[in-house]
Amino acid sequence: MSETDKYYIERCLDGHPDDFRYLVRRYQSVLLAHLAGKLGNRDSAEEAAQETLVRAYFNMNKLKRAGSFFSWLLGIGDRVVKEYQRKEQVRRQREVVRSYSEEAGSPELSQDYALEAAIAKLPETYRRVVLLRYYGNHSCSQIAERFEMPLGTVTKTLSRAYVMLRESLQQQKKQEVYEV
Amino acid sequence: MNCVKCKELLVVYLEGLLEESPKQEVTKHLKECRNCQEELEQITNLRSRLVKNGVTVGQSDLEDDVMNRIVHEQNVRLKAVSKAGEGLNLRRIIMKSKITRFAAAAVIIFAVLIGIHSITGGTPTFAQVIKPILKARTVVYDFIIGDEESNPVIMHEIVVGSRIKRTISNLPGMTQIIDMETGKMLALNDVDKTAVYVDIKGMLQERTRGYIEFVREVLMDLKDSPKIKELGEQEIDGRKAIGFSGRGNNNQELKIWADPKTAVPIRVELRLGREFFVVFKNFKFDVHVDESQVSMKVPEGYKLEEAEVDFTKGTEEDFIESLRIWAEVLLDGKFPDAIGTERYMKQMPLIGEKLAQSGLSKDEAEKLAMALPRGMFFLQLLEIEDKYHYAGKGVKLGDADKAIFWYRPEGAEKYRVIYGDLSVKEMSKENLPK
Repeated sequence: MSETDKYYIERCLDGHPDDFRYLVRRYQSVLLAHLAGKLGNRDSAEEAAQETLVRAYFNMNKLKRAGSFFSWLLGIGDRVVKEYQRKEQVRRQREVVRSYSEEAGSPELSQDYALEAAIAKLPETYRRVVLLRYYGNHSCSQIAERFEMPLGTVTKTLSRAYVMLRESLQQQKKQEVYEV
Repeated sequence: MNCVKCKELLVVYLEGLLEESPKQEVTKHLKECRNCQEELEQITNLRSRLVKNGVTVGQSDLEDDVMNRIVHEQNVRLKAVSKAGEGLNLRRIIMKSKITRFAAAAVIIFAVLIGIHSITGGTPTFAQVIKPILKARTVVYDFIIGDEESNPVIMHEIVVGSRIKRTISNLPGMTQIIDMETGKMLALNDVDKTAVYVDIKGMLQERTRGYIEFVREVLMDLKDSPKIKELGEQEIDGRKAIGFSGRGNNNQELKIWADPKTAVPIRVELRLGREFFVVFKNFKFDVHVDESQVSMKVPEGYKLEEAEVDFTKGTEEDFIESLRIWAEVLLDGKFPDAIGTERYMKQMPLIGEKLAQSGLSKDEAEKLAMALPRGMFFLQLLEIEDKYHYAGKGVKLGDADKAIFWYRPEGAEKYRVIYGDLSVKEMSKENLPK
């Protein structure tokens, strides 16, 4: 479990598909958090995360640099989300027609949807650090190593991310009040 | 310490990354400053919210679901594959990219064996120009199959007597040493220090010899005949050159360009068939080459792979198999827009990659690795004589209604037509697809 991404990727490409398991273990939470924020629904997020990982597995030969597996995975996740959202839009439009007669239950949000949505809104540079720190269980120095940046940059990025998250959470709160 | 400085350090402080003395300063400031205390509280709240959410998210376990889906999807893909063609059971095949690399590299020997002999055959009318080619004991040059402009695959070759040493631009780390006399090739992988012997005796050698005789006949025929055209002086590869061209009985077109003063060849172009065009350039004649460079012994520090690869034959069956592999492994079930040696060579690195990814085993890997180059060898023989027609563009593997390839075997009356499902029918000329 402590091998590098590159090692597992090469193992998979070398005919040991079962080693993909370790990459799933390593990134499922990060990916899930990333997708949950965008989809706002834990069930869809899980579904999308599965889809993303399966796609990643079958396209692994297209990955140019094994070191960038994480960013690449999130990129696939984003495409999956877009597809889901398109489908969801169609479904909702149909639902609107029906909902005149029945109370349309709002989609079941995850416990801390506000937080996940705020993370999803962060710019990429900040989001990946937050995701790895809290969902990938990386320490700051591990993150520094992974992205080849000075430790100071990691803490500054985190610090700035906290500010943005707080702002975004506050705004959401205001909106809720307004909507009610 | 002031508030600005303190707030700046709060994250580092919370991460436990502060040195002792600034840490004490922050602690001290926090005790005194209500504002910064609040800030710390805010960040701590956010962090604990993140941690809590991290834990909830972490409880989901996708591992088994994902792995099951992968296995399921793999099976679906394999089923589609086995429906399309019999033959290999990909499920059992665990392909090692190494072997594929050897195999892919080995394909090239065919083209090049033919090419080299056409050089040593030479152009007859300009005796001075061809003399170095005929007489030199060592020749060094670059060899290109197909279009030079679009991403060419360049082979660098050193020819010493009957030995050839070759490296290939899109397969870095691969070296081949070929002994024409014994019909053997030593393929070296410089990256993982492995070596394999490839047998190129039999049909290949025969055909090659037959081909040289044919070239010689053409050349004899052309010698001093009005069929040789002078192309005059032109700029070739950035220098002045004088050129000659000649056409063989079967329309093989040969052009040779040489330095007008020294008569040393600069460039040889050879069109062997509609789709098969080769170029030799950057010649060096009679440069010193150390014998060890073309030794057929496995170099020290290299491990000899057990598998002896045999490329002595190339049959229609091999070709069909290579079509199937091409469509299935490289192009997600579609036949290529065009086939041929040039195409194939450009695809070589991809073949290795893709096959390795589909994941495979030694037995079947070897079978597969043989089928590919043998199949391409089969095609090459037809290619040189322009004796085939390919119509696979846009056709899907498994499409039984569409003819993708037809040719007439040597001496046969009827044509053989291969369909998208890789079945073969015999047909007379009138009934061929349009």
